[in-house]
Amino acid sequence: MSNKKKIVLAEDNSTLSLLLKFRLEKEGYELLIAEDGKKAIELIEEHSPHLILSDIMMPYISGLEVISHVRNKLKMQIPIIVFSAAGQEEMVLKAFNLGANDFMGKPFSPNELVIRVKRLLSF
Amino acid sequence: MNDLQYDTEYFWQLPTLIKVVWFMCGVLFVVILILIGYLKFLRSHLRGNEKTLKKYQKEYEENLINYLYAGDGENEMSDEQRAMINKMKICVTDKFKRNIIIAVMSKLINDISGEMAHAIQKFYFETGLVNHALYKLKGKKWDVIASGIKELTQFEVKEAHDEIVKYVKHPNREVRNEAQLYLVSLFQFKGLAFLDKLETPLSEWAQIQLLEILQKFDNQEIPNITPWLQSENNSVVQFALKLAKIYNQFDVIDELLALLSHENKEIRIDTIRVLNYFQDTESKHFLKTNFINSSVEEQMEFFKLLETVADKEDEAFILENVAHHNFEIKQAALKILKAINVEKFNEVKLETSDLQVVEIVNFIETN
Repeated sequence: MSNKKKIVLAEDNSTLSLLLKFRLEKEGYELLIAEDGKKAIELIEEHSPHLILSDIMMPYISGLEVISHVRNKLKMQIPIIVFSAAGQEEMVLKAFNLGANDFMGKPFSPNELVIRVKRLLSF
Repeated sequence: MNDLQYDTEYFWQLPTLIKVVWFMCGVLFVVILILIGYLKFLRSHLRGNEKTLKKYQKEYEENLINYLYAGDGENEMSDEQRAMINKMKICVTDKFKRNIIIAVMSKLINDISGEMAHAIQKFYFETGLVNHALYKLKGKKWDVIASGIKELTQFEVKEAHDEIVKYVKHPNREVRNEAQLYLVSLFQFKGLAFLDKLETPLSEWAQIQLLEILQKFDNQEIPNITPWLQSENNSVVQFALKLAKIYNQFDVIDELLALLSHENKEIRIDTIRVLNYFQDTESKHFLKTNFINSSVEEQMEFFKLLETVADKEDEAFILENVAHHNFEIKQAALKILKAINVEKFNEVKLETSDLQVVEIVNFIETN
């Protein structure tokens, strides 16, 4: 069984997902990619990841619903980082109220994301 | 006589109208068959296209990511990256493939920043994609030109400035809009220089887009907006008023006071709003003098201004308008009166026979 820490990445931009997968796998993490919130919830329930990276705006189920599901239904206290685009400030506040631990505004630097992931997984 | 001969003879013996109906049914049946065939072909063609598109999209996504992570950190470009660029150079000559590559790159450049964003821009230049976008600027169709400018904005091609600045006055609004967004996105406040000579209207949507872009920059040092406040183009004046408010341009108060006499009512109203935001007191005298000749909207805006800056000196003017025919002005006048002189407010309360005033007074006292 792999000792790698699992990260679920919920992001509907396939190119960005692939880029982050490459970058985070290089750092020794195992990435599980979901292209929408529904798939993200399935992966979270199946794999119990150590961290979740989620975009706010996604098809079917939004990032906010994913956070709510993780915190209220699954009662998981794993770190959650949300990605938001410009103009989604209110959504970010809602994400924090629901239990997100950090957020990154798009466009963001993948290197900065790695630093934040490492920081959150080191606790 | 066999069955077919019998049917044929029977058909020819039918009335003409029935024959025509049968003939039309036959024609329609053939047309439906052809259409079904065509739809089947179209659907399979579109599905095939979609499949190809997905295949190439996946391939180019991987190629781009490999390119981005292939840097050796020592040279400006590694051998692997060079090989990837040479491979992609061939692909970009095909329009279908080029559009997919651009879509893949656009998806990424919108969401990432830093070194990788620079690497994507370099890829854009090295593969020759930039030349295709520049070529689009020479197109005859407005949508081709607009998409070329949009692409050059997205990949931050500052070198295209001289070419794109020509389109600021293009007859098509979309092209103008894209050119203006290019200038501001890439040259920040300096890019607003196009406003100096802009004769075409700057739509409300275009103004919002420009302001949104400007607010993203770290450098918030705004140039002198006075010439734009004095522009003959009303939309430029309205945009400059927005800039004055957002960037707290207190030093343009004189120009704002001059705009109170502008021929355009909307501009006069916007100006009062900005003066209200600045809590300006200099404009009070002018606005009081011209109050009767002003429109109701201007009068209402002026009273909103007075709610912030009114003092004892304005008492007489306020009292005059307690009986104003407009409910909102009447309400504002009473509210201001209570704030600057409670005794006078109580006097009005006791002396008035106007039922509306009584209701407003009760409302003000209980809220």
